Amino acid sequence: MAYQKAVREYSPGMLAVARFYLDHSSAEEVVQDCWVTVIDAIHKFEGRSGLKTWLHRIVANRCKNKLRASKREVATDFSEGLEPDLAERFNATGRWDLPPKLQFHDSADTLLENGALSDCLDKHLSALPETQRSALMLYEAHQHKSEEVCNILDVSASNLRVLLHRGRQKIFLMVEAFQETGEC
Amino acid sequence: MLMCRDLAVIASDYIDGELSGRQSLSVKMHLMMCRDCRTFIGNLRATTDLMKGHSSGKLNEAFLQRVDERVAEALRTKTSPNKDK
Ligand SMILES: [Zn+2]
Repeated sequence: MAYQKAVREYSPGMLAVARFYLDHSSAEEVVQDCWVTVIDAIHKFEGRSGLKTWLHRIVANRCKNKLRASKREVATDFSEGLEPDLAERFNATGRWDLPPKLQFHDSADTLLENGALSDCLDKHLSALPETQRSALMLYEAHQHKSEEVCNILDVSASNLRVLLHRGRQKIFLMVEAFQETGEC
Repeated sequence: MLMCRDLAVIASDYIDGELSGRQSLSVKMHLMMCRDCRTFIGNLRATTDLMKGHSSGKLNEAFLQRVDERVAEALRTKTSPNKDK
């Protein structure tokens, strides 16, 4: 059935949105609730490009309502631009002390064909703070525009920049370590 | 004068084209002179490409099953107006 295909295709992104706001089990619950309420509309939307954004907005609104009801807030650290592990690789004058040694010369596709790296990426993605992971997922993997991500996650443009950069640095450090050691 | 550390702070903004013309120019000038930062920017860009190509989110089966059940249930009772909790 059409909706089963849609559920499998769109749930990962919806969960990424929900996890920004809520813990794991509440997030799954919200996404389930969402599917139940939108299922009639899904047929009308089928094949249209706006479906993903529409679903993500619905999930975000439900999460925000839920947060408001419980009077909790999303706790996020927007303070610093550099990951500590990267920051300590510069000397006092601001030059590289420990520069990146290797080039990630392979294209992304070749790197991802390496199943071990892909698994490692999964592992590190799930270890990221929820807020950074959600921002990365929506911006990179789901290719939302910045304004859409800000809208869905309810963050300012400058805060989104921090989330993206912090998340990318962690993944960068992970790929670097993986290329050097071959281990995750 | 932009130092390597400063460049690392704004590296994502540079990659995403979010810097002002002047900032972007000073990054380009630095990159011309600094091989380490060229490697860094190249690798950070490769990292974002990696994320773009990565279809994360293996959905857990229990979750999918639960959605299917609840949707099927909702479709069965569709004629009666949905109660909101
Ligand atoms: Zn440099």
